[in-house]
Amino acid sequence: MAVLQLRDVSKSYGQGSRRVDAVRDVSLDVDHGEVVALEGPSGSGKTTLLALAGALLSPTSGEIFLDGDNVTRYGARARTRYRRDRVGFVFQGSNMVPFLTARENLLVVGSFGGSDRSAIRHRADELLEQLDLGAVRDQIATRLSGGERQRVAIARALMRDPSLLLVDEPTASLNFELGTRVVDALLSEVHRRQKACIMVTHDDRMARLSDRIVEIRDGRILSERPLS
Amino acid sequence: MLALIEIRRRKLQFGFVTGVVGLIAYLIIMVTGLGLGLNEAAGSALLDLNGDYLAYASNSNLSVIRSKLTERDVAEVQSLSGAEEATPIGYVAAVIEFAPEESDSAAIIGVVPGSFAEPEIVEGSTIGGPNDILVDRAWVRVAGTRVGDELALPVGFATRQFTVVGIVDQGYFFFQSTMYVDISSWKELNFPGDVGQRPAASLVLLSGNDLEGMRGEGWRIVTKQDGFNNIEGVQGQQSTVDALRYMGLLIGAMVIGVFFHVITLQKVALLGILKAIGAPGSYLVFQGLLQVLIICVIGSLLAVGLALLTEATVLSSDTIPINFTNSAMTTTSISVVIAGTIGSLLAARQVASVDPIIAMQQQ
Repeated sequence: MAVLQLRDVSKSYGQGSRRVDAVRDVSLDVDHGEVVALEGPSGSGKTTLLALAGALLSPTSGEIFLDGDNVTRYGARARTRYRRDRVGFVFQGSNMVPFLTARENLLVVGSFGGSDRSAIRHRADELLEQLDLGAVRDQIATRLSGGERQRVAIARALMRDPSLLLVDEPTASLNFELGTRVVDALLSEVHRRQKACIMVTHDDRMARLSDRIVEIRDGRILSERPLS
Repeated sequence: MLALIEIRRRKLQFGFVTGVVGLIAYLIIMVTGLGLGLNEAAGSALLDLNGDYLAYASNSNLSVIRSKLTERDVAEVQSLSGAEEATPIGYVAAVIEFAPEESDSAAIIGVVPGSFAEPEIVEGSTIGGPNDILVDRAWVRVAGTRVGDELALPVGFATRQFTVVGIVDQGYFFFQSTMYVDISSWKELNFPGDVGQRPAASLVLLSGNDLEGMRGEGWRIVTKQDGFNNIEGVQGQQSTVDALRYMGLLIGAMVIGVFFHVITLQKVALLGILKAIGAPGSYLVFQGLLQVLIICVIGSLLAVGLALLTEATVLSSDTIPINFTNSAMTTTSISVVIAGTIGSLLAARQVASVDPIIAMQQQ
């Protein structure tokens, strides 16, 4: 069974003549160890789809399942727990807590669930090493380079060992070389840890590094291209 | 964790607001101290009397100045069944020259020597005769009077010599340092004219139970505290001081509220990110309130330190009636913390209502 299943998911804003259909009847499965690149122009519904999968938004219709659980039935608290424990987000521009170090940015995520402190520290250090960030772990986030920040964001997303990674334009603020390194690091972690991942991108070069490209236009899936 | 690290890493920003909160708390402590000091100057000598109740003349409107009791009134009050002890006391203000061209006013209290109204002596001896006088430390500080010195008190257009036999520590009455004489001498000082027209006392001091509200034809009994509250100007003065204190607390609450409101507005995107990655709203509100508490506690400690420093330096003289007590400082500190927390509730509401979708929209 796929880790993430979207079944006829639609999302509309407004009513009557002002109604905007951001996502229309989208069905999509993402498997363990698979990176799906969502490609499309601005306003095509990519980010809305990502927000729906991450329970930041509730669909107008349709259902979303993660590991067989119907996420669309969750209340506000359950959605917070879902985002905390089962989903890892990597945002455009990384969005670190600016006054924390790289390591503290990971620790703060670990502390949300009240887990064992030494286990949290150990996992943070392990992730930072694996993403080649050991040397900058005590640097304040604002002093990290763009590439380092995005890798810290990937490490942060993996902190609570989620089933699903949702990645929004991870290379938007990076040059091609740095962007490739960040996406490589992301793919490597997703494959190694057997996570499901949706990566939104404008950049076809980055999309081609994924396992499958899903092209989206006007809120609908236009095409799907497996790459590996 | 997040709250403490942010304060540590943004020292300037948080240091500034802590300083402002500290200055507001300092102002409140100063105003409170001034209120206590003014109260003390208004009538600590009255409050420090050993008894529990005071009998005033019925027609005095509880004014010590206007209260004049007859021998019969005093005898009636002294014979009340609930009164364990009752002794007449008198009050008159006098201007006393203590050095050539140097004088100051004093509250002359007449007491029955050996009665429970006679204050405790800190130096010298008690009143032994009609020409003996006890002077308060407050007078000693101003005039440098010592035991054995002579003081000339005005009697009509003349003066009468008194010998300082003892020093007491009773404080002030009507913003004047106090002196104690035999009540028979007080009668002469207060009413130098016709001996037959002299009242027996201004008040009767009583100790006992359930005497409040008792009244006779020419007298009525109130608690000592009620007597103090009715000293001319005390209530107006207390209301002014209280208004200043509450205004200070309101300003403190507003400063903290606005500061955290602005900080929260600046951090909406970050709060959205944190919520998106699973931070519960309650966790973020707690972090904000923790910051408020830390700022208010440090600000209050700063204010207490400043107040103590002020007391030890600028206010070490008797010229400003100000009095810092531990309870006033503690109460002010707690009030500042509560006001700060109330002020930050708006920001806390803002934090709780940040929508995590903002994490994606604000990129």
